[in-house]
Amino acid sequence: MVKKIAVYGSYEAKVPSKQRYWIRRRDGIRQRYWKRTGRTKTVEGQGRYEFHGKGRDLYKAVIEAQHIMPKGFVDVSAEDFLKRPEKYGFEGEWIDREVES
Amino acid sequence: MTERLKASPILGLSDTETVKLDFDEVSFSSVRYWATRTMKWFKLRGFVILRSSENRYHIMFDRKVSWKQNMRIVAWVALLSHNQGLAKWFLMQCIKGCSTLRVSVKQEKPPPRVVYRFGTQDENAKDFMKMRKLVKKIEKKLQKTHDF
Repeated sequence: MVKKIAVYGSYEAKVPSKQRYWIRRRDGIRQRYWKRTGRTKTVEGQGRYEFHGKGRDLYKAVIEAQHIMPKGFVDVSAEDFLKRPEKYGFEGEWIDREVES
Repeated sequence: MTERLKASPILGLSDTETVKLDFDEVSFSSVRYWATRTMKWFKLRGFVILRSSENRYHIMFDRKVSWKQNMRIVAWVALLSHNQGLAKWFLMQCIKGCSTLRVSVKQEKPPPRVVYRFGTQDENAKDFMKMRKLVKKIEKKLQKTHDF
């Protein structure tokens, strides 16, 4: 197994806010749905990237990870992350806070 | 709203086949004792001790093992040494499915530095040091970009 670079910590990110709504179905059950609004909200969270790959890609991925906050625990190759960083995280910034390794 | 300091994320190294230990609130002699005892009991050939901050040390062993064997060794040390920090760290690694040791700075803590080496260093220890060098290089470049 290859060695991976872990990039982790606490962050503040802008995540798309969702709105819930209900529709009464034919069988009488009120079903809940979520719709994406155009708005975003700032949330605090903790996350981690686990990057593997070549040196140059790793470097670029770590640089990119400075402003793309992970969606929870993201284990991805640096090359894939660089192709579509928005798939793996939200825009935001890292903050100074105690985290577990 | 309270203002928060902008920070860089913490950088570390993760894998499943290197036996790593994270000791908190213990003296160096105690850490060396546990490193030597573990190395002899599980035939791990060699180890490196890194000092992460005052009375906090990381140990990394040379021989490659499976993830199952890795966690068996960490659990054995955590149980016998009665170190609360190590036990907590062990649980965290089990949840993640791979073990991680920090390489970069973490808040006011400096980056871990090598303080002791013993036995062979040509397998995992060598790879770990190579990757550590790469991460340090990346960190240095990041700091430069932050300064600008």
